Amino acid sequence: MSGEILGIVLRRIAVAIPLMLLVSILVFIVLRLIPADPVAMSMPPNATNEDIEALRREMGLHLPVMHQYAIWLGHILEGDLGRSIAFGQPVFKLIGQSLPATIELAAFGALFATAIGLPGGILLFRLRGRPSEQAVDVGSTLMMSIPEFLWALFLILVFGVAFNLLPFAGRLPPDMTIPKVTGFLLLDCLLTGDFTAFLEAIRHMLLPALALALGTVPLIMRLLRSSLLDVIGEDYVTMARLRGVPERRVVNRHALRNALLPTLSLMGVQFGFLFGGTLLVEVIYSYPGLGNLMVEAVRNTDLPIIQGAALVFALAVLTINLAVDVVYIVVNPKLRRAR
Amino acid sequence: MSLLALNDVNVTTEAGGRPVDVLRDVSLAIGRGELVGVVGESGAGKSMVGRLIAGMLPRGFAASRGSVTFRDRDLLAMAPRERTGLLGDAIAFVPQHPMTSLNPVLSLGAQFDEHLRRLGQEGKAARRERAVAALDSVHLPRPADLLTRFPHQLSGGQCQRALIAMAFAGKPDLIIADEPTTALDVITQARVMELIDELQRDSETGLLFITHDLRLAAQHCQRIAVMYAGEIVETGPAAALLGDPLHPYTRSLVAANPGIGGPVRRLTALPDHMPGLSGFADLPGCRFAPRCPVRDEACAAARTALTEVAPGRFVRGAGACREAASAAAGQGDLPDAEIAAAAPILSVSGLGKTFRSGRDWLGRRRAPVVAVDGVSLDIAPGEFVGLVGESGSGKSTVARLLLGLETPDDGRIVVDGQDITGPFQRTAKQRIALIQMIFQDPQSALNPRQRIGRLVTQSMEVRRPPARWPERLERARDLLGQTGLPQDTIGRYPVQVSGGQRQRVNIARALCTAPKVLVADEIVSGLDVSVQAQILNLLLDMRAQRRISMLFISHDLSVVRYLCSRVAIMNRGRIVEQGPTEEVFRTPQHDYTKALLAAVP
Repeated sequence: MSGEILGIVLRRIAVAIPLMLLVSILVFIVLRLIPADPVAMSMPPNATNEDIEALRREMGLHLPVMHQYAIWLGHILEGDLGRSIAFGQPVFKLIGQSLPATIELAAFGALFATAIGLPGGILLFRLRGRPSEQAVDVGSTLMMSIPEFLWALFLILVFGVAFNLLPFAGRLPPDMTIPKVTGFLLLDCLLTGDFTAFLEAIRHMLLPALALALGTVPLIMRLLRSSLLDVIGEDYVTMARLRGVPERRVVNRHALRNALLPTLSLMGVQFGFLFGGTLLVEVIYSYPGLGNLMVEAVRNTDLPIIQGAALVFALAVLTINLAVDVVYIVVNPKLRRAR
Repeated sequence: MSLLALNDVNVTTEAGGRPVDVLRDVSLAIGRGELVGVVGESGAGKSMVGRLIAGMLPRGFAASRGSVTFRDRDLLAMAPRERTGLLGDAIAFVPQHPMTSLNPVLSLGAQFDEHLRRLGQEGKAARRERAVAALDSVHLPRPADLLTRFPHQLSGGQCQRALIAMAFAGKPDLIIADEPTTALDVITQARVMELIDELQRDSETGLLFITHDLRLAAQHCQRIAVMYAGEIVETGPAAALLGDPLHPYTRSLVAANPGIGGPVRRLTALPDHMPGLSGFADLPGCRFAPRCPVRDEACAAARTALTEVAPGRFVRGAGACREAASAAAGQGDLPDAEIAAAAPILSVSGLGKTFRSGRDWLGRRRAPVVAVDGVSLDIAPGEFVGLVGESGSGKSTVARLLLGLETPDDGRIVVDGQDITGPFQRTAKQRIALIQMIFQDPQSALNPRQRIGRLVTQSMEVRRPPARWPERLERARDLLGQTGLPQDTIGRYPVQVSGGQRQRVNIARALCTAPKVLVADEIVSGLDVSVQAQILNLLLDMRAQRRISMLFISHDLSVVRYLCSRVAIMNRGRIVEQGPTEEVFRTPQHDYTKALLAAVP
C-alpha cells in the first residue's frame, strides 16, 4: 500500500512541476505588464537618461523578454528570488522569515475548521427532523455569509476588547522573545523549553486562526450532514444495525468513514482558500507573516517580493491538494489497486 | 415449543390519512433447526416480517396487535436495548444485496473483528483465528488472505459467503435470510443455497428464508408460507404446497412460472398487479379478490380466515374458492413460432470486442478484457432466440454491439440485407429503422420528466423534418393498443403507472419504428412472477401478429424455454453451445450448459 501511495505522490509531483512553471510565467508576465518601472523607482529623481539606460543594462532589462524570464527562472531555481527594492534584503530571506508564521496560522485555521466542522456536521445530522435542526441551520448559514475579515474584527471586539480574554496583536507579548531555531514559533518555544511562551503563543494564535476557520466551518458541517444522510440509508449501515452494532458506533464507524470522502475533497479546496485568506487576517491582527509582507510589498510596488510571495502561495495550494489526495487514498480503499 | 412464533400480528401505518394494516393476521412459527420459507411478490410484506423480528420497522410503522415470541419471550414487549442485544448474536441476518452490505472502506478482517468483538470474543488474535475458521466453513479459499481484502475486490458470491459466515459465526438460534440469492447468478445461487442448507443442517439454527421464488423455496424449505398484500394466504409443507396449491393466488403463482421441464403451455397470467399500501384500505375483505378468477360478492366484503384443511396445512378463504379454482394450470398449447426457412433477418458473424481501458498508477496498460470473442448468430424472421449466460459473460456487450453503442473490433452485423457494422454515427439512420432495444430497467430507461405519449414516440424525433405532434399522438395511441396499455396512460408520467405497465411502455417505445429485430436485455428479470407472465404472453402475441424477431437476453432458463425456439449459451465472451431450445435443454453437450441447467431450482 505504501508503495502505491508513494507512486501516486510522485505522479502528482510530476504533474505539479509544469503547473508551477505555468504559474511562474503568469507571475512574470503580469508583473511586467503593470505600469510600474523598477528602474525609475531605484533612481534618484535627478538621474539622467544615460544613468537610467546604464541601470537598465545592468538589470538586464534590455534583453528579450523570454531571455529575461529564463534568467529569472534560473535564479529562482538557485534559491535567488532577487533583492527587495524597499528593504534591500534578499527576497528569499524575507519570505523565509515570514512564511513559518503564516504556515502556523493556516495550519491552526485548518485544524480549527476540522475540529469544529466535523463534530458540527455530526451534530447537525443527529438533530435531523428535530426543531433545533432549524436553529443550527440558520446559524450556520449566517456563519457562512460572514467573510473572514469581519469575523476577525468581531472576534477582536468580543474576546479582545469587551471581555479582554485574549490578545489580538502579534505572536507574543511585546516583552517576550524566543530565540529563533526553526522559525516556527510554537516549535521553537518547545525546543527552548519555554512553556510560558508556548502558552502565550497559542493564546495569540487563537483569535486569528478562529477568524480564518469560521468561514469554512459551516461548509464542512453541511456537506458532512448531507453525505451522512445519503450514507445512512446504505445497505451496509442497515447490515451493521442488524448485527447489533450500537447506533453511535454505526454512525461513527460505518457511516462517517464513508461520508467523510466528499467532505475531504471540499476541505482540500477550502484549505487552499484558507491559506490565501491569511493575508487579511494577518493585517488585522498585526501578525508578522507572509500576508503582511505581501501587503507591505504591494504598497511599495516591491516587485521581487510580490513575485516571490505569489509563487509561494501557488506552491502552498498545490502542496495542500497533494496532501488531501494522499489522505483520500488512505481513507478510500477503492482508489487503491487490487494486488 | 417453537423457537420463534408470530401470533396474529398486525403491523399498521397510515396512508392517505387512514390507518392501514401492512401486515394482517400474520401467524408463523419456526422450530429449532427448521427452514421455513416466506414467499411473495414485491410489496407482499415479506420483508416487513424480517424487519418486525429485527425491531427495525420503518418510521411510522408499528405492531398494533399480536405478539412475536422468541425463546418464550415476547419481543414486542422487550426493552429496545435488550432487543438490540439479540441482533447478530441470537438473531442473525443474511442480506439481499451482498455487494453493498459490507462497508466499502473497511477490510473484511476489520468487519469480522468488529462483529466477533460484539459477540464477546476477547483477544485480537483469537478473533482473527475465528474469522479464518468462519471463512473456511463457507468454503472460501485462502481465508487469511481474504481478511485483508476490501469488499470491492470480491465477487457477489464471495461477499455473500462472507456475510453468511458472519451470520453463522455467533451460532445464532435464528437466521433471517431476505432474498439472499436474488442478486446472484443461477450457478452462484445454487452454490450459496447449498451452503446455507449445509450450515443449517449442522446446527440447531432455525432459518427464515424470504424469497419471491416459490420453486427455490420449495426446493430448500420444510415449510412455506405464501404472502399476498400483507396476509399469509396459504401455509403448509413445501412439497405439498407446490404440488397441490390450494389458494387461487398460490395456484396462479405456480401457473405463472414457465418451469424448466414438462410440456410448454401458455401461462395463465393474473390480470393487473398487487395493490400498493394505499390500496389496502379499500380492500376490507379478501385482498386478493380484485384479481381472483373465482371471486364472488362475499369475498370482497368479508375478511377470510386461515382454516386448517390438512394437518399443518392452512388456507385462507372460504371452501368455495378452493373448489372453484380447479380451472388453473395451462390454457392450451402454445402456437409454434412460424419460422420462415428464408434468409435470416439478423446475421452476426465472428463478432469480437476487446476493451483496452485503464492504466495502473505507473502508467502501464492493464491487461485487455476480451468481452466478446467470435460470436456468430442468425435469427430468422419471426424467430425468438435466447442468449443465456451469467453476468459478465458478455451477453450485454453483444446487445450493445448490435445497437451500435459499441463498435466491434471484428465481425459483421447484417440486418435485413444491410450491413450495419460501422460506427454508430455512420449507421444510425439505418439502425433506428431496423433494430431497437428494450432496456432492462424501465424505471431508469424512461425519462421521468416526459409523458408516456412522448416517450413511446421518441424515435420519431430524429426524422427530418421532425414528426408533427398529431402524427406522434396517433402513433402513440396505436402503440399503447398494441402493448395492451389503457389509452389514458398517454398523458401520464412513468411514475404514475405500475411496474408492469412501465415495462409495456418500454416495449411500445422499441416498437415505434416498426423495427425488424428487437434486442431485449433481461426485460422480465425485475418483474414479479404474475406480471412477468403478462409480459411474456404479450411478446408471444406480438410475434404471432407481427412476425417480429427478437434476441432475448436472459439468465432465466425457464423464461427462455418458454419464449425461444433456439438458444445460445454464452460463457466468457464465447458462445459455447447453440441449437433448438428443447434439444439443448434435454441433451446439453457443453459442461457449462450442464452446470447451468443443474442449477435451476
